Amino acid sequence: MSKLTVEAKVGFFVVMGIVLLGYMAMKMGKLSFTREKGYDIEVVFDSVSGLAPDVPVEIAGVEVGRVRDISLKEGKAHVILRIHPDIRIKKDAKAVIRTRGILGDKFIALGRGSEEAPEIRPGERLLHTEPAMDLDSLMGTLQDVATDIKTLSGSLATVLGGAEGEATLKEVFRDFQEMVRTLNRTVQENKENIDLIIANLSDFSKTLKALGGVNTDDVQKIVTNMSQASDRLGTLMEGMNRIVSRINEGKGNLGRLLAEEEAMENLNGALAALREVSEKINQGQGTLGKLVNEDETVSRLNDTLASVQAVSEKINRGEGSIGKLVNDEETVDKINTALTGINDYLQKQETFRTYLDYRGEYLFEQEWAKSYFTLRVQPREDKYYLFQVVDDPAGKKKVTRVIREADGQTYEEERIELEDELKFSAQIAKRYYNLGLRGGFFESTGGVGVDYYLLNDRLTLSLEAFDFDWEDNPHLKFKADFSPLHHIYLTAGYDDFISDDDASFFLGAGIHFADEDIKTLITQIPIPTD
Amino acid sequence: MVKFLEYAGRPFVGILEEFGRVMLLFLSATAWAFRRPFRFRVVFKQMETVGVNSLTVVLITAVSSGMVLALQSYYGFRMFRGESLVGATVALSLTREIGPVFTALMVTGRAGSAMAAEIGTMRVKEQIDALYAMSVNPVQFLVMPRVLAGILMLPLLTVVADFVGIAGGYFVGVELLNINSGIFMARIYEMVAMEDIFNGLIKSACFGLILSVVSCYKGFYTTGGAEGVGRAATQAVVISTVSIFISDFFLTAVMF
Repeated sequence: MSKLTVEAKVGFFVVMGIVLLGYMAMKMGKLSFTREKGYDIEVVFDSVSGLAPDVPVEIAGVEVGRVRDISLKEGKAHVILRIHPDIRIKKDAKAVIRTRGILGDKFIALGRGSEEAPEIRPGERLLHTEPAMDLDSLMGTLQDVATDIKTLSGSLATVLGGAEGEATLKEVFRDFQEMVRTLNRTVQENKENIDLIIANLSDFSKTLKALGGVNTDDVQKIVTNMSQASDRLGTLMEGMNRIVSRINEGKGNLGRLLAEEEAMENLNGALAALREVSEKINQGQGTLGKLVNEDETVSRLNDTLASVQAVSEKINRGEGSIGKLVNDEETVDKINTALTGINDYLQKQETFRTYLDYRGEYLFEQEWAKSYFTLRVQPREDKYYLFQVVDDPAGKKKVTRVIREADGQTYEEERIELEDELKFSAQIAKRYYNLGLRGGFFESTGGVGVDYYLLNDRLTLSLEAFDFDWEDNPHLKFKADFSPLHHIYLTAGYDDFISDDDASFFLGAGIHFADEDIKTLITQIPIPTD
Repeated sequence: MVKFLEYAGRPFVGILEEFGRVMLLFLSATAWAFRRPFRFRVVFKQMETVGVNSLTVVLITAVSSGMVLALQSYYGFRMFRGESLVGATVALSLTREIGPVFTALMVTGRAGSAMAAEIGTMRVKEQIDALYAMSVNPVQFLVMPRVLAGILMLPLLTVVADFVGIAGGYFVGVELLNINSGIFMARIYEMVAMEDIFNGLIKSACFGLILSVVSCYKGFYTTGGAEGVGRAATQAVVISTVSIFISDFFLTAVMF
């Protein structure tokens, strides 16, 4: 420093001071430079208490401008906002005076407004405003709330307080307890019902089995069981007859019992009733009568009893599905997985879409039309499989070499013949946001394609490259599909545009719709899950 | 009775007289500033003395006061969880008050006393009379450059003081007391306006004027040999300091 001149020292000092001043001015007074930019809009508030010029104007917490001026007109506060030039504000956006921090700094928050409203122009006025929510009015509201709560708790106290209220509460709890108990019982009863349902199901499956002719043995067994049952019924009847006659003769304990008068009367009454019933049964009256007198019923009964027996035996031994179900924990798990699988399947069917598509393209150069029939299977939003049949008038290129002699010289001539041919495409496609990638077979040759979706998928730009194995350039095709209506679209493009002689513009149209029938058909086919 | 009143009134008249003489010196210095010959080299010399050579002292003072401010206000703000306001408090205090006042005080102590002593010595050694003899106006040659240097250099020193003071406050607040640096700076940007800084600079220019005029006056009218020179230096510092504080109040009242 000692070698520096006085001027240099002072100059260094001055420069340092000015640089620091400039730095601080940039940092702290940054708005003094930008304040003049932007446009003005006007907002009218009933009250702007606490609002000052130069406070921020925010949308969604981002500063978009400042308050430039506050003035009183016709008893209302007119506030001029200076909005940054690149900020657009909707005409129906709401202006609210908000408070920030414990110190209560005020600022103006603007709402977003609706989508369809026009944008505000400089100098115009925002119509929707909300007055400042200051601490005083907040306190007032809180006081109201507190009063309400007080009234509420007072009435609650009168309802619940005191011996009467206590009794009511107790009663309520008792009722509740009882309700829970009833619920418990109901559940237990239902458990039996469920068991019953399972048994029925097993019966049903049994019948199905028998229908299939698998259990002919069982059927035979049932028949024999039936005859045995009827035999037993006969011996039972005989035994009963014997007992009754002995009783009549007054033999045995029972006979002696019957000697007492009162008992006799009762017994007589009972016997009369029994007789009446048995007469009715003999005549075939009533359900039991029918049951007993009709052979068919008896056989059915036997049948059912036998199978129920067989089923319950099997169940007990843990055989069969139900048996396993009842006796094996693993089965329950399996059923659970099966149910989850069914759910998955149903969901898959929901997202599953199939589309049918037909399009025709007219190629100007060749003056012929190509037809495409497409089936698009779309298991998920972002991927699909495409199967296509293409009718191409120039499908098959036949090159024949003809050696011709003329004027003593040999010419070798290539003759190309074109033949109508059906071609096939099968592609897989995956979509990432607006970009789709396709790969597979394009018109019976390998290839790749890129799609770009615009305007909510109504416009699709596609570039396809295929037929790499042909001697000349690969077949490149650019096309744009635009769909003005739901199922109809127009197409235009440039086909085979790097080829020497096949390049052609084309125009075309197509129809395209989702098909539910094919969808159900396809979803029945098991598809491996990924 | 009259004697008593005279006794009571004399100091006031004396103060008024002195104030008038200071004003006269200032006015003649102002007048001489626009007259030939312009001696830039002399002005630069004074700028070096007042500005560059005072820099170290001012830096140390500013950094310490910034750090102390941060520390003290932190304990205050912590009571209601307002630690983030420490930065803004430090910055506002520095730019508005502490920067200009402390800088002026340090320059008074360092340069003002030197001015009074230097000019006072020239007075008692009759060098000022010699200047008159050489037809060099002593006000133009001695007073005017010092006053000009004071007015120009004090704001620059204050800018530096503001900056390093805030830096000191930042160091204490963010590094030692763990206040979030982003919030610390955001609050400073939010609270400190450009006019705070500019008003502080206007103040410091006024202080520079006051301290240099008072110091020159005290030196210029020194009487009584070496002892008088010492007295002049002491009085220059005392009167400048008191004047700075008094004028600070009025300047603040007028500006903020």
